[in-house]
Amino acid sequence: MPILSAALALGGCWTAPTAKLRAKGAPRLIQDAVAVESVKNPVIVQSVDAGTRTVVVLNPADLAPTIYKAGARVFNLDRIRAGDRVRATVAEQLTVLVLQDGRLPAADGRIGPIEANAKVLMVDPSYRLLTLRYPDGTTETFKVGLDVRLRQMEPGDDVVVRAVEAVALQVQGR
Amino acid sequence: MTLSARCRNRVSCLRAMAAIVVACAALRPDAARCQATPAQLSAITGAISSRVDAMTILGGDFALAGGSYRFDGRSDTEMDVSKFGGAGDVGDPRKLGDLDIAWQPRLQGSMGFVDSTTAIRAGPLKGGTSRFRTFSIQFGGGARFWLTDHLSLAPTLTGMYGHTSNEYLPTQADRPAGLDWASQMGLIGWNENTWTVRSALNIQYVLTVDRTIVTLSLDPIYFHSVSFSSSNANVSVHGDSVALADTIDVDVPLGRQLYGHELRTGGYLARTDFFGDLKQGLDTQHLYEAHGRLVLDFLHQFWKVQWMGIGGSYLWGTHATGWTVGADVLFRF
Repeated sequence: MPILSAALALGGCWTAPTAKLRAKGAPRLIQDAVAVESVKNPVIVQSVDAGTRTVVVLNPADLAPTIYKAGARVFNLDRIRAGDRVRATVAEQLTVLVLQDGRLPAADGRIGPIEANAKVLMVDPSYRLLTLRYPDGTTETFKVGLDVRLRQMEPGDDVVVRAVEAVALQVQGR
Repeated sequence: MTLSARCRNRVSCLRAMAAIVVACAALRPDAARCQATPAQLSAITGAISSRVDAMTILGGDFALAGGSYRFDGRSDTEMDVSKFGGAGDVGDPRKLGDLDIAWQPRLQGSMGFVDSTTAIRAGPLKGGTSRFRTFSIQFGGGARFWLTDHLSLAPTLTGMYGHTSNEYLPTQADRPAGLDWASQMGLIGWNENTWTVRSALNIQYVLTVDRTIVTLSLDPIYFHSVSFSSSNANVSVHGDSVALADTIDVDVPLGRQLYGHELRTGGYLARTDFFGDLKQGLDTQHLYEAHGRLVLDFLHQFWKVQWMGIGGSYLWGTHATGWTVGADVLFRF
């Protein structure tokens, strides 16, 4: 019981994960080009251009289509047709930073606007998991590389997510 | 949810049947006059009850360590235990009402088989071997309550079914003269079905130091076992047992990858104290377990697997030493 009391006294209360925290510290870039892979919800193929290896897809929940560059690992591009329902695995790059009013001082001292499209929700440095919360409330967890500076990241940090290319397109039907 | 699934190929055990052997040896060897006083019979059936209770718990409970045990006691008993199971918390912690407490459902289950033989060196059954076989399976659950980001309590309730049978294997050509009498008395040649209620509380404190996860846990566990059918009216289980386990677990990432997965090492040191029938049936007061593992991190890379690798334990305690080696797989749901 004394141990239990001591642990309670030291530990405070349970705190729910939240991305609504204000990022701590001065505006800065924490890490750029964090490579991750994201498995997207099924989308409908609008068109395929084998020459440029691009695929235009539309998520029924989105208004605008998305264009994916098919990477070298996409081996079935010639079999994908407009109207197919595919699940895309997309290579993305994350830029994790602390913004001040949506701006970050550039190296030359100028203040540049940056449009962050996610926030850090949780960080697990031991198992290298980074969980983001998107503006629509959905969350996504990434396994990041050993070189990612997770210990410098905190809930509330801003994240810019940039799609690089599709690394797999799995046809799930029409 | 983390669910540990440790497959142990073989568990050997010596001793644990001391009470039964000593009681049997006290009987008169002459079959024609082979009798036992009520006190002796009570002692034997009591020892058998404790033994069945202990074997059922040892084989079926996920929290008790398997291993290849060697006891330096009085009897010649060997025991093989194979078990598979674990416990874990499901999903992420969710807020409990307006309280600053989170909770997760918790599930736990296990199944195991115990094969035990005891050489009888005295009494009317001298020269033969008494063989016990137990199958037990348990399933239950509860909830984990996070009082702080580090400290949690998990009360659980579990039901367990056990089936234990006994047979006598004579090594000599002639049947011992006291065989029929021993069988009639329920010393040998019976089978028993039991149910057990297990109530437990897991108190856990988790701390992350750099990237290393340190987990301290305390597990008081209470077992209540009762027979619900038996082939011999003289054999009946009615047992109460308590196990109290203290564990410190360290989970260390090594920062090096193998086949795209980070290597992790670590292990735990545990002490389990036994009380009641469990203590009498196993004839040991406490057991230490030092466990080491080398695993690959699969979390968020392969289904719900947190890690896969190999692990091994060295066990020691009152009259006992032991070891275990096997696959070490942990799931997180």
